Amino acid sequence: MENKNLFQNLYLKQFNESNAIAYSKDFIANTSDYNFQLLDNAYRNAGKVYAQIKIAIETGKCQSEHCSMELAQLKQLEDAPQASLDFLASIMAELGVTEESTFDPNNNYRYSVANSLMNGRPGFSKTDGYEAYLNLLPEGSQEVVFMGPAFGSPLIINSSALNALNDSGTSLVASTPEINKDMLRLLTEVGLFAPDMVGENEELTPNAKISDEFTLKNLDGTYDYEIVELGNGKGRNMLQFDMDKIAKKITPFVNAEVAGLMSSEQSVIAAWNVYISQDTSVEEDDQMAQNANAGADSWSYEKDLPLKQSKKVLFEKKYNEYFINNYLKQFVTDQMPTVKEDAAVFDIEEAKKAKAQKFLKDNNLN
Amino acid sequence: MLGAVIGGGFSMVAGMMGQKAAKAREKKAAHERNRLQLKLDNLEANRQDIINPFQDMSAMISNPFANLSVATKAAEMKIEEADISLASTLDTLRATGASAGGATALAQAALRSKKGVAASIEMQEKQNEDKRAAGEKQKQDALMREGQRVQQGEAWEFGQREQREMQQLDRTASLLGASKQAEAQAQMDGTQAMTGMLGSLGGIAGSAFGSTSS
Repeated sequence: MENKNLFQNLYLKQFNESNAIAYSKDFIANTSDYNFQLLDNAYRNAGKVYAQIKIAIETGKCQSEHCSMELAQLKQLEDAPQASLDFLASIMAELGVTEESTFDPNNNYRYSVANSLMNGRPGFSKTDGYEAYLNLLPEGSQEVVFMGPAFGSPLIINSSALNALNDSGTSLVASTPEINKDMLRLLTEVGLFAPDMVGENEELTPNAKISDEFTLKNLDGTYDYEIVELGNGKGRNMLQFDMDKIAKKITPFVNAEVAGLMSSEQSVIAAWNVYISQDTSVEEDDQMAQNANAGADSWSYEKDLPLKQSKKVLFEKKYNEYFINNYLKQFVTDQMPTVKEDAAVFDIEEAKKAKAQKFLKDNNLN
Repeated sequence: MLGAVIGGGFSMVAGMMGQKAAKAREKKAAHERNRLQLKLDNLEANRQDIINPFQDMSAMISNPFANLSVATKAAEMKIEEADISLASTLDTLRATGASAGGATALAQAALRSKKGVAASIEMQEKQNEDKRAAGEKQKQDALMREGQRVQQGEAWEFGQREQREMQQLDRTASLLGASKQAEAQAQMDGTQAMTGMLGSLGGIAGSAFGSTSS
């Protein structure tokens, strides 16, 4: 089922983005009817019902004592149009998540189909076999029913259910957190960079460097450089960093970030499926259109919510790794010395000899 | 196209689009608010322990002269020696047939010796008492200095904690405030969009309800 769901979502995404329909002779040659007219159809008989109730009340022909039931029905009908607009706007906002560039294709594909229908996308018209209705239900709630080839069984969304979800901060369709933006911001918050390294856009400036206290130093206070070979016997010093100290420093802040993400576990699943699970790089994630998901390692919205503690711990661990590998690593690798004299290119053999002499001298081994 | 799907006319569709966008923004802002609130709670709950170099050391301060003992053993030995010496001298006197006056003089000498020992003990006790008092004063002075140092330490620890954590807490709290504002603004936008649609509602509800009842 998950594979079918994934396939359908990815197919729809690609179908909508590919413009393929423009090259379908059948589509171009035929009329497409998108007149679902949800509101017009829903209220077609409402006027008649309203009038009947009103007449019953005014002529004292109510079925209930003191016309209590009729008055309630009248009030319900008067409120219904506004409720319909609110409901439809909510549905469209929910379905709109399927259009986000980082949409997790592990979400139920039927919401992607419903979104295509609501936006009148080519291939989802009445002519193509699709239907949508807005029904005013007797108890006062409303429902939208979507039907058509890609739905299988009808997709029904009830207004009171949707309101309850929204009130509890839950969504029909999980939105993927903006991990890239979050992690760029997190870089400025973990305490590795001096405040003046943070620009007005709340991100690190292009020349940002990790504070000196996190570099490795010798006992005499000089920098403990790594020598990088440049070829032809030449080399260059590179700063080394105390990764244990760095890890200790950033952990509380990364954990706090993850704790914030846990405010919506469905978003955690989306982040896991789209970014975190596969140890991919940011570039790979950006390039992936079809396979931007965890594949066999995907977490399921239906089966894995609420998240087990073991999954939360795993997410925290992987989130930390993703942050270090994709965002922090660039600041701790190939960093040139800050001392000008140490930054020059040198002969590696000479440097090795000098280093050995220094070691012998420091340890009284001469 | 949305007009055909939804129905209800142009301004209805425009309003619907506005409300859809406002709802999406409102939801995002609410989500962001929850996220930042949890993050803030976590940051507050997991502030790192700060090692206070001024921590209370008063338990280690004591009066080294509090339990000085008097060297009574030596005194006892002196007395014993005096007694042995006295007994031995008496034996000699008896053997040589010395006078009773000599024995009295000897007993007086022994008494003087014992008095000397007692005086020595008294003097030791007096010295010890003086040392104990001086030690107690030193201890009290040290405790007072330690108390002042601990107070300084608490102030230092508070300052450090505030300096280190407040920047991050302030920032998160400020973002939280902004997300609340964004949520409120999105709600207002939604209401405005809804108000814009109300005219069109007349087109649906008004005409439907009105035409039948008239």
